[in-house]
Amino acid sequence: MAELNDIANDFLKDEIEEFIERPEERTRIINAFARATPDMQEISAALIDGDNGTVDTLTRKALDEGIEALEVMDDGLINGMSVVGIKFRENFIFVPEVLACARAMKAGMAHIEPILSASGIQPVGTVIMGTVKGDLHDIGKNLCIMMLRGAGFVVHDLGVDTSEDEFMDAVEEHEAPLLGMSALLTTTMPNMGKTIDAFIDNDMREDVKIMVGGASVTQEFADDMGADGTAADAVGCVELAQRLLEELKQEQDG
Amino acid sequence: METNVTRPMKGRDRVLAALRREPVDRTPVCNPTSVATVELMDLVDAPFPDANRDPELMARLAATGYTELGFDTIMPVFTIIQESSALGCKIQWEQKDNWPTVKMREPIWEDVDDIGLPPDFLTHQDTKCVLDAISLLKKEYGDEVAIIGKTMGPWSLGYHCFGVEPFLLMSLDDPGKTHLALDRMKEATVEFGIAQIEAGADALTLPDHATGDLVSGEYYRRFLRDLHIELAERIPIPLIMHICGRTVDRMGYIAETGFAAFHYDSKNKPQESMEAVDGRISLVGNINNPETLFARGPEEVGQEVCQNLEHGIHMVGPECAVPLQASIENLKAIPQAVKDWHRTHAA
Repeated sequence: MAELNDIANDFLKDEIEEFIERPEERTRIINAFARATPDMQEISAALIDGDNGTVDTLTRKALDEGIEALEVMDDGLINGMSVVGIKFRENFIFVPEVLACARAMKAGMAHIEPILSASGIQPVGTVIMGTVKGDLHDIGKNLCIMMLRGAGFVVHDLGVDTSEDEFMDAVEEHEAPLLGMSALLTTTMPNMGKTIDAFIDNDMREDVKIMVGGASVTQEFADDMGADGTAADAVGCVELAQRLLEELKQEQDG
Repeated sequence: METNVTRPMKGRDRVLAALRREPVDRTPVCNPTSVATVELMDLVDAPFPDANRDPELMARLAATGYTELGFDTIMPVFTIIQESSALGCKIQWEQKDNWPTVKMREPIWEDVDDIGLPPDFLTHQDTKCVLDAISLLKKEYGDEVAIIGKTMGPWSLGYHCFGVEPFLLMSLDDPGKTHLALDRMKEATVEFGIAQIEAGADALTLPDHATGDLVSGEYYRRFLRDLHIELAERIPIPLIMHICGRTVDRMGYIAETGFAAFHYDSKNKPQESMEAVDGRISLVGNINNPETLFARGPEEVGQEVCQNLEHGIHMVGPECAVPLQASIENLKAIPQAVKDWHRTHAA
């Protein structure tokens, strides 16, 4: 097991000391950063700082020097985003700061994505995300998408005001094992249940795990609608997606 | 909340006294956002979306808050889109069973220099509708019940006109530019607010959604506290600040603004909220919408009303605009529970 002093980058050490409080998360993050090279740690630090220009430069430099795209993504960008997610969940930072970090992540991924897709490397998982019909609110959904991408998922964002057919078509087209639906309004929350019913009516429910979320969505509401899970925040969304993906694999293997 | 006035007060007097934190005969029941529901629309034949655009329908639907539900206020501005529509934002008007919403993915402004009030800002259909509805309500009910208008604060207008994400990123990338943008947008808040006062409003709700779900309490202090102090000075009527979500970390700052009241969400407990404002501002709220008013029954509504009363909340009502599918029975349970509680505690 690594220790804090095994991490070369002082900024990262300070971030862990100040913001990562849960022992299991602290251990996981220290191990992850200690495994990463100083150059990758520097990318993580710039991402946590929301510095998209530096992330852009360092990512390009690392790839030019022959470092594998997967290593830059995992050890540089995803490691950094995991700290951002925890700081957001614990209210050390808020949405503006997360948006800046996501912008930095995007700047790095712009160099990495073409390489990964050309080499045929499979993502962690594919997720379809959208706000349901009649609802134009998307900040919560977008935060979940940022965190999912930050954890290595490929996300297809259907935007807002998404119909049942659009959700089903997207799941089919991308063969996505995961679907996430968002609704802010009490008037539109029932549309998540209607969409789940449409998946059942079209014999597609067994193929996909469905997550629902929104400021007013409770576990009870998610259960009543027949969803596979809900989460209180964007970090929880990533953990839920990882868990559901594992469940799906076990079901398919079993 | 001091309730030692023995003579019965009219709803209007009760609300205005509570806004000044003066004694009342009983705690007023008030929703500074909206009590419109589908049931009420059917009852008076004033459905959405028309009731947001036609002053007679708007007034008729709003009046049900008093005539059918027994609240002490009438609030005709059911949405948060009226002035954004007049500023040029595109609106998805929806149907009877859903809220009209600003299409924030299609922002109308990109930079501070784009900000400007169109010449027809107060004569546009969607702002004029509010002014005309307030005039109608003042004439019909102005002596009995408090007529509350609504003027959106500049932070919320920023979401609508710049888009949520671009606006929040601007606040981080260029705080100076954001202050300038807020300074310019606040003129819409002041103009629409003063026009509603002239139309007959007794008080105004001022939503400015710097919520804990999006930004920190420190952000509120940095960007909005002084600006809200200025709004309280320039708009000469009791102002009710409304911010959804978790806000207890900024209630202390809000209490310094000179606003008369803060409309608070059920994510904040009555006791911690009362402690945060420390008698400097009235609190209105905070009956939960999605779980209690929408999904539970009158008994549970009554229990939440009593929790607020036990902690001395100055005005009781739903935490935000009530769900359109909430039942009249649940909404009527609010004033009933308030009256029952006072009867019990007077005995």
